[in-house]
Amino acid sequence: MIGSILLLVYRNLVAAIDKIFLVWIVAFPIVYIFVVGYSYSALIGDQSIKIGTLSVTYTSFLTAGMIGFNAMNGSSVAGSIVWNDKRNGMFQQLLVMRFSKVHYIIGNLVTIILIGLASAGIIILIGFPTMSEDINITLWSIPYTVYALVIGSIFFGSFAIILSTKIRSSETHNVINNGLFLFFSFISSAFYPAHGLPVLLSAAFYINPLTYIVDISRAGIFSQIDAFTNIEVLIISILAATVFMIATRSMVSMKV
Amino acid sequence: MRTMLSKIQNEHCISVSNLRKRYGKNIAYAVNDITFNVEYGTVFGFLGPNGAGKTTTLRILTTLLRQSSGSIYVFGKDLMKNQLEIKKRIGVVSQNPSFEANLTVERALDLYGILWGLKDKKIRKEKINEILNTFDLESLRNVKNDELSIGQRRRVQVAREFIHEMDLLFLDEPTVGLDPSARRLFLDYIKNQVEMGLTVFFTTHIMEEAEYLCDKIAIIDRGKIIAFDTPTGLKQKHGKGAKTIELTFKDILSKSFIQLLNTTISKKQDSGNNNSYIDLNGTHTITITVNNAEEIISEVLKLVYENGLEIESISINRPSLEEVFLSIVNNDDLRNEQSNDGERTTKC
Repeated sequence: MIGSILLLVYRNLVAAIDKIFLVWIVAFPIVYIFVVGYSYSALIGDQSIKIGTLSVTYTSFLTAGMIGFNAMNGSSVAGSIVWNDKRNGMFQQLLVMRFSKVHYIIGNLVTIILIGLASAGIIILIGFPTMSEDINITLWSIPYTVYALVIGSIFFGSFAIILSTKIRSSETHNVINNGLFLFFSFISSAFYPAHGLPVLLSAAFYINPLTYIVDISRAGIFSQIDAFTNIEVLIISILAATVFMIATRSMVSMKV
Repeated sequence: MRTMLSKIQNEHCISVSNLRKRYGKNIAYAVNDITFNVEYGTVFGFLGPNGAGKTTTLRILTTLLRQSSGSIYVFGKDLMKNQLEIKKRIGVVSQNPSFEANLTVERALDLYGILWGLKDKKIRKEKINEILNTFDLESLRNVKNDELSIGQRRRVQVAREFIHEMDLLFLDEPTVGLDPSARRLFLDYIKNQVEMGLTVFFTTHIMEEAEYLCDKIAIIDRGKIIAFDTPTGLKQKHGKGAKTIELTFKDILSKSFIQLLNTTISKKQDSGNNNSYIDLNGTHTITITVNNAEEIISEVLKLVYENGLEIESISINRPSLEEVFLSIVNNDDLRNEQSNDGERTTKC
């Protein structure tokens, strides 16, 4: 069982992921951190942003947000894996080989988590200098960040899988993906804080799962865990479990 | 392993009993109570018109679908209970293309080998070289699958399956899209593998291939097996001794002559066995299919002489498997015999 799953994870990493997409995953948030981060910082001057009881610079705030954002970006590749396997006949071929649907689903889940964590890890490494003054990781806080990244990867990976299994044409797939990307990215607390916004916009932020993921991972990075963080953990866990179950169902019922 | 298996006399490679499959409660059975066995080290041809139930049967045998009822034993083991174990010993070339778009042919073959558990890199490399050489794919070694033509991709898909050892190979219309030389290369390779003990379950629409490759053929139509035999046996049993007379004339044939020929042949046929027919191929050639060719030929020649026509060539042939296939699937009596007899299983 484990051997088959590891083989599928290896295969996903080698074959199903477009290398250009991987480059984009890294390049995209770097542009945000260094271009958007420093440009907006120049605009807002010395104004700091409050996270819990702590005040941080905008670049620190943004880089910490980009970690969760990139976990979303990376894990959405799960959609490409399923989409390509469906379109290129590899889903059916794998099932007549030594693999079952359970292997395939768990293989994809592990791949999502690995890519999500790796994408986030790259941003931590690259973005560390921009938030080194404010960062405050403790043994108590770091599990929150890791958990947020894992659960976020599962949520967005599963979401991408559902889209891939339900949508039939490439054009629809692209349009929906781009539309949702806009919503998830910019109506969230990844780029700007939710507090102080008009009520409706703030409510819209909290419809978006990325807000929870980014909030939790930031709370871990800056050691600002409070009761609200735990509520956010609970909400995103329930959401991720639900979406993962729907994705599993979609993959099980995928036509071969 | 294969040789050992082929020596087992009291066990079939595939044993299917009373297999049924339907896709919904109110829908007719796609596969309706079929029973057959496939012997070790043979090629079993599974033929039938579109929608006859071939692919459904194959999908059940390769575990992609679950049967509605009936039992399937592969290598003597219940397929439903031993799926993964059985799948490790089979190969499948599906009707639909399957490929890793982002990888080169060589890398895709290597990955396929890894997925099949070929851990040793050196062995994989040797196997890949052998496959590329055997299937004339050397020039495509470094080409991405995405950039291949449909035919090239098909060749890679077919060749890919031989990277791993297997005891049973399912081929679902494997030569679709292959050019004649690639097709012959492939069929000869399969023949060679079968001689070494491989068992093949083969579906095709190309009768020449079935005749060339298959030891036994089952013909399925509307979910029922309506004929089963060796290719020669099928021709003897269902060709009913029919032969084709092909005549090529120096002159253009007139409608009145064809009509006259038709009337003469009809008169000469047995009243209970009147399945003769005449095909006009172009303007100079006719093909006459009859049961009593030797008797008819003198009448035809007489008619030709009387009408002042000149013959360029004449030949008498046994019916091809394609003609036999057409006569079987167009034979309503044979089909009704199977579908009316609800209790009887179509056994092979």
